[in-house]
Amino acid sequence: MAYLEETGVIKDIFAYYGDIGYDPEIPGYFSAHPEALAAIQVIDHYSPETEDSGDDQNFFEWLWSEIVKNFVEKDRYQLIIMGLQNTVFITIIGLALGLLIGIISAIIRSYHDMRNKFKILNAIVRVYITVIRGTPILVQLLIIYFIVFASSGLNSIVIAGIAFGINSGAYVAEIVRAGINAVPKGQLEAAESLGMTFNMAMVTVIMPQAVRNILPALCNEGISLLKETSIAGYIGIVDVTKAAMLIRSQTYSAFVPLIGVALIYLIIVLFLQYLVGKLEKRLNNAYR
Amino acid sequence: MPTDEVLLEVKDLHKYFGDLEVLKGISTEVRRGEVVAVVGLSGCGKSTFLRCINQLEVPTSGEIIFEGTNTLDGSIDITKLRERIGMVFQSFNLFPNMSVKKNIMLAPVKLKVMTEEEASVKAEELLKRVGLADKADEYPMKLSGGQQQRVAIARALAMNPDIMLFDEPTSALDPMMVGEVLNIIKELAESGMTMIVVTHEMGFAREVADRVMLFHNGVVVEDCTPEKFFNENDNPQVKEFLSHLI
Repeated sequence: MAYLEETGVIKDIFAYYGDIGYDPEIPGYFSAHPEALAAIQVIDHYSPETEDSGDDQNFFEWLWSEIVKNFVEKDRYQLIIMGLQNTVFITIIGLALGLLIGIISAIIRSYHDMRNKFKILNAIVRVYITVIRGTPILVQLLIIYFIVFASSGLNSIVIAGIAFGINSGAYVAEIVRAGINAVPKGQLEAAESLGMTFNMAMVTVIMPQAVRNILPALCNEGISLLKETSIAGYIGIVDVTKAAMLIRSQTYSAFVPLIGVALIYLIIVLFLQYLVGKLEKRLNNAYR
Repeated sequence: MPTDEVLLEVKDLHKYFGDLEVLKGISTEVRRGEVVAVVGLSGCGKSTFLRCINQLEVPTSGEIIFEGTNTLDGSIDITKLRERIGMVFQSFNLFPNMSVKKNIMLAPVKLKVMTEEEASVKAEELLKRVGLADKADEYPMKLSGGQQQRVAIARALAMNPDIMLFDEPTSALDPMMVGEVLNIIKELAESGMTMIVVTHEMGFAREVADRVMLFHNGVVVEDCTPEKFFNENDNPQVKEFLSHLI
């Protein structure tokens, strides 16, 4: 607020709200003029800080001072770490639940398509997939938080994990089903002609081959999920994105917190892609 | 050499795909040790007939009596039936995620017909028999088509079937590799295995089969010895069929 004092803007604001006798020394002066105070705070948001008014800083000095200000001062990095923990936690719950729902759904769909079983379950799964894929994930998150679990008293992070799991399950279901369908029909016939039951053939012959088809797409789904959790702030969770926004609101600088958070996501994603690349290579080596 | 014992009896077998009648009442008998060649133009129903025997296709009506039991009577366990009926496919259908040996051992071990050790011995013995003893640890994709088909034959034999069904076993092979596979099948025939072979290889049918069945539009139009089929047949449909061959 020093900048506003120096330039006399505060005086002008009070004058605008009908008080020309601006004197901060008088006790209770500010609280007597709430509109003026609100206006000052808004303007203050966008005012340059008096310390870094000098123009002789180069970009890297500026960047360093921004990093210090946004992450080091007042231990703000801890906010990021906390956010990251929440992001990872939500992603892991979402992924685990999504895999569970997705694989069960895919098996129901495949059994229905190949063996004409589970007619009712199959219909339910189809509705579920259609609804989830046809509505935005943010709306799903809000519905699950504010309606489904409104009075459950569950931790909002767990609720977010459930919401993302339910969402992801629909996509995983289609990925797994496509992977199973991509295994040539002759494989099942060969297994059955040897006397194996359908279940045995699925477990020993079809699924191991399907996994190879599924893995790359499943990894992409996991990565999408990680990125999608950035909307968790909408239900009051401090995930890593929300943490960056909180820092921004304290330091009034957007560049470093937001770019920093983008880099955090990028690094995690690149690491996951590296892991899956290795896994895929191992699976491929077995074949040729 | 065929014995007098009837192993498989098919009575008035019908199969529809939707409204399309693919098999229009097939009746035949296969005796133990007999080699039956099934020939006919594409789409005549010969593959469907074969697949009905182990119920990869479920027949619409009719009776299939295998070793004295009616297999279409809903009470029998189809998987137990299939253990006794080996099948070799046109496209080999080896399991690409397993080594050659594992391919052969999988069913006997999983179905608890043999222990792991017994199956391993059996697999090695069968691989020797099809001339691929050195390929046991290779993956199927590394083998030629002919080698893959020989492994597929070994895999089917691992369950000690009473009958072998061959569904155009050489149709997906390069001409160079047809011989090696046919030789294995011929050796198998000579060892007394009962088999039904759907084939386009007339030389093989003439030389190895005890009987040739000609399918046409879902009906058996000729069923006789190869000598009669290829040499002195006055059935116009047989003449018509043979005229399609070069």
